[in-house]
Amino acid sequence: MKRRFRWALAVLTVALAAIAAVVATTAYGGARSSGIIIDGTTGTVVNIDPANQYDYDSFTVDLNIFQGLYGFPHGAKLQPVLATGCSHSANLKTWTCQLRHGVKFSNGDPMTSADVKYSFDRVLKIKGDQGIYTLLSDLKSTTTSGKYTVVFHLKAPFSVWPYILSTNAGYVVDHKTFPADKILANTDTAHMIGTGPYVLTKFTPSQQAVFGLNKNYWGPKPKNSGLIINYFTKSSTMKLALEQGQLDMAFQTFAPNEIAAMQKEKSLTVHSGHGVVIRYLVFNVKRPPFNNLNVRKAIAYLMPRQTIASRVYHGTVEPLYSMVPKGLPGQTDAFKTVYGAQPNLAKAKAAMKAAHVKTPLAITLWWTPSHYGDASADEYAEIQRALDASHLFKVTLKSAEWAQYSGALGKQYGAFQLGWFPDYPDADDYTVSFYQTGSFYSNGYSSKKMDGLIAKERAAKTDASRYSYLKQMQLLGAQDLPTIPYWQGNMIAVSQKNVQGINNTLDAAYYMRFWLISK
Amino acid sequence: MALGRATKPIREASGIARVMFWSGVTITLLFVLMAILAPVISPYGFNQYESNGHRFPQLAHPSSAHLLGTTVQSVDVLARVIYGTQTELEVVAIALAMSLVVGVPLGLLSGYFGGILDRILVLIMDAIFAFPYLLIAIVIAFVLSTNSSIGGGILTAAIAITAAYVPLYFRVVRNHVISVREEPYVDAARALGARPRTVIRKYVFFNVVQNVPPIATLNAADAILLLAALGFLGYGIQPSQGAEWGYDVSRAVSDATNGIWWTGLFPGLAIVLLVTGLTLVGEGLNETINPVLRRRRFGRFEFEPVPGAVEEAE
Amino acid sequence: MTGTSLRTYLITRLALVVPMVLILLTLVFLLLRVAPGNPIEAALGGHVPPSVVKPIEHRLGFDKPILTQYGEYLWNIVRGNFGTTITDNRPLSQIIAQNGAATLELTFFAMLIAIVVGVLIGLVAGRYRDTPIDIGGRLFGVFVYATPPFFLGLMAQLVFGVWLGWLPTSDQASPLTQALLQTHTNIYFVDAIWDGNWGALWDVVQHLILPASTLGLITAGVFIRLTRVNVIRTLRDDYIEAARARGIVERRVVFSHAFKNALVPVITVVGLNLAILLGGAVLTEETFNWPGIGHELVLYLQDRDYTAVQGIMIVFALVVVAVSVLVDFLNAFVDPRIRY
Repeated sequence: MKRRFRWALAVLTVALAAIAAVVATTAYGGARSSGIIIDGTTGTVVNIDPANQYDYDSFTVDLNIFQGLYGFPHGAKLQPVLATGCSHSANLKTWTCQLRHGVKFSNGDPMTSADVKYSFDRVLKIKGDQGIYTLLSDLKSTTTSGKYTVVFHLKAPFSVWPYILSTNAGYVVDHKTFPADKILANTDTAHMIGTGPYVLTKFTPSQQAVFGLNKNYWGPKPKNSGLIINYFTKSSTMKLALEQGQLDMAFQTFAPNEIAAMQKEKSLTVHSGHGVVIRYLVFNVKRPPFNNLNVRKAIAYLMPRQTIASRVYHGTVEPLYSMVPKGLPGQTDAFKTVYGAQPNLAKAKAAMKAAHVKTPLAITLWWTPSHYGDASADEYAEIQRALDASHLFKVTLKSAEWAQYSGALGKQYGAFQLGWFPDYPDADDYTVSFYQTGSFYSNGYSSKKMDGLIAKERAAKTDASRYSYLKQMQLLGAQDLPTIPYWQGNMIAVSQKNVQGINNTLDAAYYMRFWLISK
Repeated sequence: MALGRATKPIREASGIARVMFWSGVTITLLFVLMAILAPVISPYGFNQYESNGHRFPQLAHPSSAHLLGTTVQSVDVLARVIYGTQTELEVVAIALAMSLVVGVPLGLLSGYFGGILDRILVLIMDAIFAFPYLLIAIVIAFVLSTNSSIGGGILTAAIAITAAYVPLYFRVVRNHVISVREEPYVDAARALGARPRTVIRKYVFFNVVQNVPPIATLNAADAILLLAALGFLGYGIQPSQGAEWGYDVSRAVSDATNGIWWTGLFPGLAIVLLVTGLTLVGEGLNETINPVLRRRRFGRFEFEPVPGAVEEAE
Repeated sequence: MTGTSLRTYLITRLALVVPMVLILLTLVFLLLRVAPGNPIEAALGGHVPPSVVKPIEHRLGFDKPILTQYGEYLWNIVRGNFGTTITDNRPLSQIIAQNGAATLELTFFAMLIAIVVGVLIGLVAGRYRDTPIDIGGRLFGVFVYATPPFFLGLMAQLVFGVWLGWLPTSDQASPLTQALLQTHTNIYFVDAIWDGNWGALWDVVQHLILPASTLGLITAGVFIRLTRVNVIRTLRDDYIEAARARGIVERRVVFSHAFKNALVPVITVVGLNLAILLGGAVLTEETFNWPGIGHELVLYLQDRDYTAVQGIMIVFALVVVAVSVLVDFLNAFVDPRIRY
């Protein structure tokens, strides 16, 4: 009898082994399809409706569906898209734009000046929670003149207005499908109608966005037959999905050691393009001990840029010496000029002496764990190590998750980590946003001299004079030290070997133009 | 002493039960020793990344210099595992103390006096008890971390764990008090005019409290799992404040896809071992002191015997 | 109360549901709404000036007196309106339908694995009591209890995903299946069968194996204990002795008598285990990127989205209460001796 029982057990074991064998022989390959590009990302979409989104992941979705009057169809050079061109009045306060003829929305509706006016009015009327409408804070009103002319009336001179027209605050939506005073639900794909190369056919929040081709698209046909963006919470699982062939490509954001590992894999290609994403440390210049300029200077002298870039990011980022990343016109390495390229312990000591504070000085630095990727923990561990090693500081690190963190910033923290990706790829966005009085992170920095330079820059008529003001702003910012920039990141996408066209889109505009990609 | 009395049946118990109990005790004591002697036996500090100006390698394989390898932050894994013991035991000790301090008196009063108070308390505690207590702990840790003055510390984790366990002690103590209350000697004391305070202190308390060690031990095992889970989800100890195994495992998730196994395996094994040790001790005590007690996973108990199942005392 | 009729018992039990639900709902409210900090500001992040926060607070009713808020909160739940998330404007009903289905799929198969593994091991351990097999079985029970799901999951990913490359380690299905599968119930396993889409079904099953086994194994410990004890007990019972005496072969004794009897409590414990299963599901979902409701909870906690967290906690509370009632009812029907 006992033997019978054992026999039954043996059968069970064999059965389990057989199942394992079946699994093993049909080793997991994942479903693949010919023309559809499957992309992975660790981002989260807040809202698809362009009137209420201010984050890169929502933006990446909308880039496929919607278009603005201006945009960056190729490279980082601003070009008219739904417009054929804009002209401005002498005082830079009135901008008149001519629309492209014959453009249709994906449902067949013609795109006219009424839609454009409707779209801008809608953003300002809805004033969405995410705050994208603040990009249009200088817009007084929008008027139309005929079917193909739109006039923007601004409150102040604005030399870079066409850049604003390229942001998602300026996306043109179909006035017949979008309600004027309400945002559309994320899952209401039927009404999410724009003029872009794709239509959104299915959206499952925090899981997947599925795009089909826009049959009425006015521009060149996309190089693929559709697009799926798959959302992951962890880059590690995304990496595995890519390695197992479930994804054709992945973009945003792998951990540095994952990128290093994938660079060695034969089946994958790591594409590294220009980078416009930056990381910086912000001080509340009103809060002790950071209200002491010399203390800030000592930290600026000690910032371990090279160590962070090589140790934490394995060379996938490069040291940054200005709030404006390299590659943009008007950039100057202001921090290199003022503080030198390498950490300088002697100068830091001198600065602390001039600060008249007892050393080692206890300071607290804040950082946020997931928003900027896992590597933030390591990044701040390096900064802590560098500052502690000087014996001038005794650093305490504190962290908070993004939602809480972003609400606190300068209001509660004395020194904190931040990152930035641009609303538009121009040095203006990288300077005014940080240095203007009353900046978004409430760090108390206010300089008449700086505000004067900003006004002059915004009213400048030629690029040459604009750039000279921008350079002055960067130098002044390095001297006043409301922030210390420390790295700029490359845009990195990883794909299967057979995927083509990714390199055509990795430029300073920081746009993932999926329609250029094929396999 | 309750423990002495508790181990007597163990000494007389069958070979297997005894071996299991004593191996549990050995494992647990080893971890306690490890925590106390951490500064002596650990090769490096839990946050140390260099020695004599020479920086440790990143994600190095286990080797003679770093027996269990190093992490992405160039920290020695062995050191993190050893110092992690300190954190785990510290948090669990605080949490247990707090849940006892809150749960036991509530149970005593509720059970002894009965009435409306008892009914309301039982209803509340039962409701909380039925709720997945990991969720209670997460939400409490989440709410506490909004307040940056306590956020993310040992105390936050301890409070979150406490909140999840108070109903348990309340139930155990209350149910026991109710049965003890009717015992002849307690009745006699009451009849002789002893005040409730005296009766509770002198007769009920000591009778009831001897039930606590096995539960507390099993609970400690459970609390470690809970703390690790909080750490894994990012609501545990701040990484710079101390080493915590759950947090280390969560950081190791991204290493694992690169085939790096040592950053996750060792802290994970430490959790499994310590919890196993405590569980074996607790089950040993449990079977001898109160054979009717039945445990649900994560250290919850069935106090009504499961229908049809009566565990034999071995 | 052993004398009460079944009906009285059921009615009393049902009446107790109301205070239990109320207590849990109040608890959730107290924890989330009375806590310090500004939920709106927290949820929206840094872009928004205070002038924007006020109208949203007003829209969500966060500026009203706390008691009014409490009343509205309960009334909304009664009407089945669990709210809309602050951060990404999702109605909670959509989260329940979509992510709840994923959790259901995971927990169902995990429970199945837990029962099969647990009962098998328990049965064998009980049958060969005090032999090395028994010790092995019991130790296995302790080990699976002591292993956090995220650690087991991580190791499973490492071995089966990274080293062997046999199985996918994240999501409910591969992206293409997800995109093309018609969703009727949001339970992919059911949807694939519904459409007779066998390729998709195979894909879904492959995705299920690791997460369901992880969660199933860690839940199996309880079943091992229970089955083992019951087998030992029943094997000693008089009627078994009688069966043996009548010369019925041992194997039949074990399977048809002891086994059947041992199963009754196991079935009820399935319900009791729910709270544990749900807690484990949160961690398993997080480890395997499984788009269940626990995974969403963790995301919304990170976003400090109070309405989302509140809504999901309400759902958990209702499920817990519903299952506890169901279990008591089942108990009462299956075994008339049990009336508390």
